[in-house]
Parts: sequence; structure tokens; C-alpha cells
Amino acid sequence: MSHDATHEQPATDAATANESGQRPVPFRGGGFVHRSLGPVAPLVFLAILAVWELGSRSGFISPIALPAPSEAFGALVDLFQTGMLWKHLGASLYRLVVGWTLGSLLGIAVGLFIGLFSLARAGLLPLVSALFPVPKIALLPLFIIWFGIGEGSKVATILFGTFFPTVIATYGGVDNVDRNLIRMGQSFGMSWLSIVRKIILPGAMPAILSGFRISASIAIVLLVAAEMIGAEFGVGAYILMAGALFALDQLIAGVALLSLIGLIIAWLIGKLEKRLLSWRT
Amino acid sequence: MTAITRRTLGALALTTALAGFALPSAAADKINVGILSLTSHSPSIIAEAKGYFDAQDIDVEFVSFQAAQPMAVAIASGDVDFGMTAISGGLISLADKGVIKVIGGALQETPEIDGQKILASKAAFDAGVKTPADLKDHSFGITTTGSSFHYMAHKIADKEGFDRSEIHVKPLQKVPAIIASLKSGQIDAWSIVPNIAGALTKGPEVVEIGKISDYVDDYQVTTVFTSTKNATEKKDLVERFLAGLSEGISDYNAALVDKTMSEEDTAAIVGMIHKYVYSDQPLDKADPRIRAGAMRINEGAALSVASVEDQLEWFKSEGLVPDGVTMEKLVDTSFVETR
Repeated sequence: MSHDATHEQPATDAATANESGQRPVPFRGGGFVHRSLGPVAPLVFLAILAVWELGSRSGFISPIALPAPSEAFGALVDLFQTGMLWKHLGASLYRLVVGWTLGSLLGIAVGLFIGLFSLARAGLLPLVSALFPVPKIALLPLFIIWFGIGEGSKVATILFGTFFPTVIATYGGVDNVDRNLIRMGQSFGMSWLSIVRKIILPGAMPAILSGFRISASIAIVLLVAAEMIGAEFGVGAYILMAGALFALDQLIAGVALLSLIGLIIAWLIGKLEKRLLSWRT
Repeated sequence: MTAITRRTLGALALTTALAGFALPSAAADKINVGILSLTSHSPSIIAEAKGYFDAQDIDVEFVSFQAAQPMAVAIASGDVDFGMTAISGGLISLADKGVIKVIGGALQETPEIDGQKILASKAAFDAGVKTPADLKDHSFGITTTGSSFHYMAHKIADKEGFDRSEIHVKPLQKVPAIIASLKSGQIDAWSIVPNIAGALTKGPEVVEIGKISDYVDDYQVTTVFTSTKNATEKKDLVERFLAGLSEGISDYNAALVDKTMSEEDTAAIVGMIHKYVYSDQPLDKADPRIRAGAMRINEGAALSVASVEDQLEWFKSEGLVPDGVTMEKLVDTSFVETR
């Protein structure tokens, strides 16, 4: 749909061109541009929900396999009415914001070091490659001993989860900065710091921001793991409790909350991209 | 040439497979029994090894689980026929949905046998937690919300006369995580079956401060359960399973709880249990662990209805299960003796 070329426009030009005996040249540009189709996403979403609800109501989907969306919505309403929603969201957002911010800042710093200094690259890159694939969930028992069962181990889990993807995105971004721009800066006699600040950082920003999208999603995934240990409140703790009680409506409600957090974060990063990457247009 | 060889091979394989399956399937009902690697699951293991199930014309296949919750779900889905675990919120929720039923009792606290212990970390003990009454404003480790640990913590609070919210339960998901937290003093207290408690109090980090039997009357710790479908449509199969299991229970009690069985027979029974419990350790190491702290399992899988009702009421009062769950939905008392 979005890739269709435009046909209507050159019709009048062709008519005038034919009179003087010349071959009309149709306009071949256009296309390959995404049009924004606002209502499509909500429609797809609503259609899926409607089919799901109908399936549950008719008994085609067993209540043991999947609760009706209306039941999950009821669980959300319960959460809202008891005021627990804000307690859970507050606890989780605190862990997400602190863990992700620290992880990202450290990640950008280490990523820039690796991108800019050969010594850092030689020393740290193998370390990052070795530690990135270690599942943070497997380290949870160690985190309990190191950081306690309070907020420490939860924030640490998210911090470690977001640190490594940010490092990789950042140094990848630095590597991909247009060399000609750097050479140009050098021939204009810019200082090293100026080049880093005015050419390398903005040039690496697209990669860093798409790294943010990935690390934010990883942070949300790890939230459930982080809240396995001694969490009384939090969306992840709520989901785990629902699982233990086999309360599927609450389970789906909790998962929907995580999706919502994900959507909002993606939207915020989109805004940030528009602001920080305005130089691209 | 190859085609013929293959076909002959296939036919051969098919006939052997048929011969292999035809004999037992014609004679006995094939069922799956869910077990956890705990000594409290020994009766099914003994009944299978000693042929009590065979005598009832049942062919048993064991399915191992890591936790009680997935076992309950597997029974609801029909992948497993019988299981034996503590009454959890998940179990009651599934019973409310009409897919599983409690049909008998298993592990029970009795006054004359050592039962579950209440433990405190050394740090908390030194800071003044000498008896369960001191647990007010202290943390207590549980696996998940609505687990038996959660119930025990609240029963302690009820009996000692402080508010349930004044004992801070910490969900840690898994028993090893609780043990690590208790040993490092990050939680103050926990309650657990005697064989694990005994191993912990031998070390310097953990101190025993009380017994669960002082706080919960006739605590029916674990129950036998099956799918509603089995309980209503295959009553005969359920009865035969319980008959076989009951013989296993008698042997288990005689060998490990009352110790009335000869040493030779007891050793044989420990050997059977060792195939599934502590199987990662050599027998001579596992032997004392299997024998230590065995708790009584009700003869004939008798069920303490009052205890189950008390637990159900607790779940309801905490809002952990739907209000509409009744004893009729949860328990089918037609199979075993109730008390």
C-alpha cells in the first residue's frame, strides 16, 4: 500500500506533448515513501480483541487456556479501584528508571571509550562480549548476596541488562560516523574535543537512540525477573503472584500493563529522536 | 533392493512396537503420576516399585516436576492424572474453574512426630527473635504469594495476636533462594519440613525457634488430587489408585515414621525412594537424608476436612482466591475416610 507510485499527475502533460509529436515521458519518481495511516493500528488491535472476546464468550477458547479480554480488563479496573495500580506502577517505574538510566549512562560512557581509544577497545571489548550473553537471571542468587533482597538487586539486574546493549550500540555508532566529516573537521583545524562533541557524538546519536529502544525493552523484560526476589509491589511481582495463584485475568492484566509501559517508552524515545536528530533532515 | 530392506525393517519395527504396547495396554490402565523430588512423595514410588499399582491393574508412569504449581496445571490439562502437593492458591483457582479436585490427604502434622520447624537467622535471633511471638515486625521468607509458607506465617501472626501485615512476607520464588537469604540474614525467619530444617540448624547461621504444630491444628500439609474428569467419570480408577497408594503409605509409615519395619526391608524401601529422591547423590550419602525427619502420611490417604477448610478460609480472607469457591468445589470426600 505504501509503496505505490503516483500515476494521475502526468496525464495533462502527456496530452500537450503529443500535439508536437514528441513521446510523453511519464513521471517515474515517487513511491517507496511510508504514508502514515493513523486508524489502521487501532483497528487491527480492536479486531484481534473482538475475535478473542467472541472466542471466549462462545466457549471456543477455554477459560483455562485464556481468559476473556473483558475479564482481564475487570482485573485492571479492580487494581485501579483498590489503588494498588499506582503502588505497583510506582515501584516498577522507579526500578526501571533508576536501573535503565544508570545502565545507559554507564553504557554510553564505556561505549564512547571503546569507540574513541584503541587501548579501551583492546581491553574492554572482549570483556563486554564475554559478559553480554550471560543471562542476568542466572546471576540472581549472586545478586541477592551482593546487593541484598531490597531495591539493590532489582536495580542491579536491570542495570546490567541495559548496560551491554548500550555499549555495543554506542561504539558501533561511533565507528559508523562519516570519516569524511572527521577529516574535514581536522583540516579546518578543529580541536579533538570539538570533533568529538560536534561531529562524533551527533553522528553516533542515531545508533545510540536505536540502542535505547532495544535496551528499554530489555529492561521491561528483566523487570519480571528482577521482581522475583522479595518484591512486595511492582508489575512484575503482580504478574508472578497471578501466575502462582493461577489467576489468569490478573496475569493478562499485568502483561498488558508491561506492554503499555513499552508503548509509552517507545513513544518517548520517538520524541527524543525527532529532537536530537533534527540535523538529519 | 534397499527399498525392500527398508520396508521389511519398517514392518519389523512396527510388529515389535505393537507387541510391546499390546500386552500392557490390554491388561492395565495407563496413568501418569506427578511427583516432586521430595521424600513426601515416596508412597507412590514405593507402591510402584513393590507392585501395589500393578496389583490394582494400573500401569504408572512418573512425571517429575520442579514445583507444585506446574503439576496442578498439568493435571488440569489432563497430561497428568494424579498428584500430591500442598494446597496452594493456584490449586484452589483451578478447582474453582471446575477442573481439579482434592480426593485425599497425605502429609499431616501430628503431635507425636516431629513436624515443620520455625527457623530464625542467627542475626535475627541475636537481635531478639527468640520465639515466634517475637516475629512481629520481622521478615518471613515464602516462595510465592498463596503458598503454604505464606499460610503458616499468617497463622503464627493470628495465634500470637499481632496483625498479619506486621509479619513481612518476602516472596523469593524458590526454596534455595530462601535458604540463601536466611543464611545471609537478609530475611529473619522461615518455616520448613524437619529434614531441611535439621540440615540448616546444624550450621551456625540458623536457629530453631518453634514448631508449626503449635500454631496450626492438625495441619493437612499435602493432599492428593486429580482432575474433576477422573473423579466423576473414572471413579473406579481413582479408587484403585488410592488403594495402591494406601499400601505404599503403610509401608512408608512403617519403615520411616514408626520404624516398625526390619532394617533390611527399610533399606530396600530407601533404595526404591533413592531412584527419584536425592538421585544425584550416592546411596550411602542419600540414605540418612531420606530417613531423616520423615513426617506421617495419613493411612488410607485420610483427609482432615477441618484443616482444609481452615486453609480455604485463609485464602478467601486474604482475597487470594475467588469468593465463590466452596468446599464442595475443592474437595470430593467420597473416596477416603475424613476426619
